This record gives sequence, structure tokens and C-alpha cells, in this order.
Amino acid sequence: MSWAWFHKLGSPRWFFLWTKSWALPLFCLGMVCLLLGLVWGLAFAPTDYQQGNSYRIIYIHVPAALLAQSCYLSLGIAGFVFLVWRMKMAPIFINAVAPIGAVMALMALVSGAIWGKPTWGTWWVWDARLTSVLVLFLLYMGIIAIQNTLEDIVLADKAAALISVLGLINLPIIKYSVEWWNTLHQAATFTLTEKPAMPVEMWMPLLISVIGLYLVVAGLALWRMQSYILEREHRASWVKQEVVGDGL
Amino acid sequence: MTYFSYFKAEFLVLLRRKQDVINALLFFITVIVLFPLGVSPSPIFLAPAAGGIIWCALVLAILMAIESMFKEDYNDGSLEQLVVSGLSLPLLVLLKILVLWSVIVIPLLLMLPLLSAMLYLPEGSFWVLVATLLVGSPSLFLIGAIGSALTVSLKQGAMLMLLVILPFYLPVVVFATGAIKAAQEGLPYSGLLAMLLAISLLSLVLSPVMTAISVKASVN
Amino acid sequence: MQSIVSLTISDLWIERGDRDLCKGLFFELKSGQVMRVLGENGAGKSSLLKVIAGVIAPLEGQIQYAGQDVTHDRKILQQDAIYIGHSAGIKSVLTVEENLRRYYPSASADELEAVLDNLSILDLADTPAKKLSAGQTRRVALARLWLSKKNVWLLDEPFAALDIKGIALLESHIEQHVLAGGLVMLTTHQDLHSIQSYDLVLSP
Repeated sequence: MSWAWFHKLGSPRWFFLWTKSWALPLFCLGMVCLLLGLVWGLAFAPTDYQQGNSYRIIYIHVPAALLAQSCYLSLGIAGFVFLVWRMKMAPIFINAVAPIGAVMALMALVSGAIWGKPTWGTWWVWDARLTSVLVLFLLYMGIIAIQNTLEDIVLADKAAALISVLGLINLPIIKYSVEWWNTLHQAATFTLTEKPAMPVEMWMPLLISVIGLYLVVAGLALWRMQSYILEREHRASWVKQEVVGDGL
Repeated sequence: MTYFSYFKAEFLVLLRRKQDVINALLFFITVIVLFPLGVSPSPIFLAPAAGGIIWCALVLAILMAIESMFKEDYNDGSLEQLVVSGLSLPLLVLLKILVLWSVIVIPLLLMLPLLSAMLYLPEGSFWVLVATLLVGSPSLFLIGAIGSALTVSLKQGAMLMLLVILPFYLPVVVFATGAIKAAQEGLPYSGLLAMLLAISLLSLVLSPVMTAISVKASVN
Repeated sequence: MQSIVSLTISDLWIERGDRDLCKGLFFELKSGQVMRVLGENGAGKSSLLKVIAGVIAPLEGQIQYAGQDVTHDRKILQQDAIYIGHSAGIKSVLTVEENLRRYYPSASADELEAVLDNLSILDLADTPAKKLSAGQTRRVALARLWLSKKNVWLLDEPFAALDIKGIALLESHIEQHVLAGGLVMLTTHQDLHSIQSYDLVLSP
């Protein structure tokens, strides 16, 4: 197996030129899927016999929560790649994806709270899942904060990579501890996390909106990475060509 | 420089700077005092909450003590000297953490009987509290050292370091307070102590290397 | 000390922030030679010393010492080199003697006394470093050069804050060191009176 693609990935120039035309199609395709999934889910999917219409928020909540976790996983991997192989693209990826992940975690939290009001009767429950998403959100904010506060870019990159890796190692421990803690303290609260088996008309739109959101995020991430590449490599001649050729 | 001469000098520096250590201990006591005053002084509230209160205060006090652990070394050039000493940087870092841990945790242990009596901690769970402190606190120092090394170049790094490191402390707090609570309710708690020990061992493996990377990136 | 050693820098590329400090730098320094690194403020003199000492990683290039490539693992060089930077690694709460013992625990009491006497800071031996003046602190840092048995000296502005006597003392010590086969790299704006040196000029 050839590792050439891996080494090429490390080159911002190659990455930029290769992905330049990808961001928009990914984003548009994702948007179409997402809208399709949402409209289907919110307007046409059957009503839940227990929760009525309020369950429909899962079409936002579940994709957001999944993305929040996937983004974090990818940050941890990128951090590891940076620390081991010093790949130049890894910190750019972390820089680009961390805020997206934070927004996803926040969306999951807010939609969870909105869902919680009609079903649990309260905006917030110290449920294991909610708590661990909250911690996830805090981890994201920590990475963003350290990236933005440290002025030396080499140090900032290394710091963000270290914290991402550390977070990835820690995430299962945090999840386990919160779940354990939850069973000790909150044994009596409602457990709505066990969903009844869904009919196809319910999960199909969900699947479509999940895929859609993944694509949207991928498009956004590529855009953000491309602008970081241009910013960071602004001294390189190919960047000058690229910008002048397109803009002036 | 040798490992031993470094260890000795670190110890001496901390002894000469005893006010820093005393400040951390005073901060610990002050946070504990907040709870009876702020929530309720009645034993009905305090007795079950005692373990949690002590651990919350502990985490904050340790974070404050660790935040500046590399600051002076960074400013006076000692950190550079460690990097170029030809000795293993992770090991030097580990020695530094060990010195700080012993200087902070031993006085904390001595204060615990008084503080737990003031919070009406049931006598039976006192030794569990001591055990959680002994097996849990190393991980707090080890994880904190990474954050401290990363933020050492900042003039106002304390808030950032707190923000970044505190989420990593949550499992330790959960298991430690859980063990104390389990002991109070007569449930088995040895599994939780084992979890704490496992977290401490994991951080013992990871932290010196990661802290060394952070130190190198910071003196850059 | 070893008979003949050499420090070879080839194709060194150092980047700080957004600027190249040097690119394609090449030089060789042998036993018995002194190299003076010159350049304007911000030209990267300190950074070059830091890169060789192993504080900063170079972007590209090789560093060879005593015939071995030490670019990635600087240990062999570090064990045979002493680096004294702007802030010299003197702990303010420790006394002069404790500070030096931190670096040289095996130095005998007589040896230490002789060095401190030579630098006329003997009566300050038990004074905490924070009470010293800048020039005295510099002397404490430089005392390491008398105590160490290392070949390579990397000195960043060693004459800063020293008085005329101190400068003469250090110059003659550097001279003795290179005569005995050591090699010295230093940054300074000072003209060296008694020492033959090679000049490396960094231009931004």
C-alpha cells in the first residue's frame, strides 16, 4: 500500500488545491439532504404515540449530538497525528473544526433542553448524557480558548493538539464516571433515553438529516481549513498566485 | 546538574517560598468555610456533603498551587537550563511534581481531621477520605502540570489553565466523592478507589512526557 | 577534555514566528576556535544559540558534533556543552552557593571557594541571589564556566552587565578555554581584545 496520499495530506498546498472545488458541492449536497430530512421529519413523519409531536426535535438533536462526538474524535486523532508526525495540516484541522464541534455540542444541549421541557417537565436534568455533552462542550471551549490565547503559533498548535489528545483519552473516562455517578444519584429520574423501536418512516428522515449534517459540516470544515491555509502560508508563492489569480 | 541536585534545589526553593504553600492551604480552608456560611451550617446538610465539599476545595486549591509551578523557572531561565541539561526532561518534570505534591498534600492531610470534624463527616468514612486523597491527588497534580506548562508563557494564564484543566478533573472528583458517599452508606467502595488509582497511574504514564513536550513548546 | 572536536552546522534554517532568521547557514567550529555572532537586534543571534543548545528546533538542517548527527537527539552535545542565556537560570530564593551546587553538586568546597574568590563574589556566597545586583548575578551565572569541565560554551551576551574588570576576567578565561581545546560561540557587541575570533554576521 502506498503512503503517498498520507504525506501529500501533510502539504497545505496540495490539500488546498485538491479540496478547493469540493467544499461547495459537499455543503450544497449536505444542505439538500438536511432540509429533506428535516422537512420530512418535522412535517410528514408519523406522530409518536407516547410523546406526540415533541419527539420531532430528534431530527435536530440526534444529528447535532452525533456530530459533536465525531468532531471531537477527529480532533483527538488530528492532535495525535500532529504530535507524532508533525503534519502541518493537523493544527489547521483542529483550528477549523473545534468551533464547529462546539456549536454542535451547544445545539445538542439546547435542543435537548427544549425536548426536556415537554417530556420531563424541566429544562435541565442531570442526566448522564446531558452532563457528558456539557463536559464535551467545555472541552471544546478549552481547546478554542487555548488556541486563541496563546500568541506564539507553534505553542498554540502544540497546546491545542495536546489538549485534544488528552481529551480523547479522557472522554471515555468522563463518560463512564458520569454514567456511574448518574446511576448513584439519579436512579429515580425518568429514563427517556431508551427509545422505542422506530418505524421506518421515522428513522429514514433521521438518517438523511444525519448524513446531511455530516456533509454540511465537512463542507464548512474544508472552507475554514482553506482560509487558514491561505492565512498561514501567505508567504508562499503559490498562495500569492492563487489569491491574485482569483481576486484581482 | 544531576537528578538529585535538582530535586534538592526544588525542595529548598519550595521551603524558602513557604508563603506560596501556606496561601494554597489558606485558600483551601476559605473555600470550605464558604459552604456552611453560604448553604447551611446544619449537620443534616453538611454531613452527607462533607466529602464533596472537601474535594471541591481540594481541586481548586491544588489548581491554584499548580498554576504557577513553572512560572518562576520560566522567567529566570531555569526552564531553558532544564531543557539543555542533557538529563531526561520528563524525569525532571516528574521530580518537580513529586516535590510539589508532597509539600502540598502532607499539610492538607494534617488539616483533614479538624476540617472533617467541622463539616460533621461521619467518623467511619474519614479514612476513606484520606485514602481518596492519597490515591486521587497525584493525578490532579500530574494532569495540572501539563496545563501549567502550556500556559507558563502567559502573564495572566490562571483563568485559561483553570478552564482547560478543570474538565479533566471531573472523573477524579466523581469517583473520590462517590467512594466517600459509598462508605457513608455502607456500600463497597474499594472499586472506586481502584478507579482513582488507575486514573493516577494512567496520568503518571502520560503526564511527564506531555508536560515535557509542553515545556519545550513554551520555552521556544 | 577531548583532543579535537568540531561542531558542524549545515544548511540550517531557523524560522521565528513569520520570519526566516537564517536560511542555508553553514559553518564549522573546531576546538580552539571562538565564534562571535553579530547582527542587529532581532537578527536571530540568541535564537541561533538556542537552536544549537537544543532549546528551539530548527526548521531544517543538520547539526553535527564530534562526528555524530545530533540534530534530533541533542543529548551528546548537551552533555558536553554549557549554555548561558539572557536569563541565566539563577534561582532568586537560593543563595549563591546553593545555586552553584544545583548545577555542580560534586564541586568540592575548596574549588567553589576558589572560583567565587576569583570572581570576587566570595563574601556573597551565602546571600540569596535576589539581593544581588545585575552584574553580580551575571558573575554567579558565569561562575559555571569555571566549575564546568565542558568543551562547548554557548554564551548569549556574556559581557552584559559586567564591569571592566569582569570583562577582562571573562575574556582571559575564554582564552584559556580555547587554548585548552574548547570551543566557544558567543553573541556580543563588544570588541574582544585578547581573543582571535571568527565573526558570523546574521542579517535579517
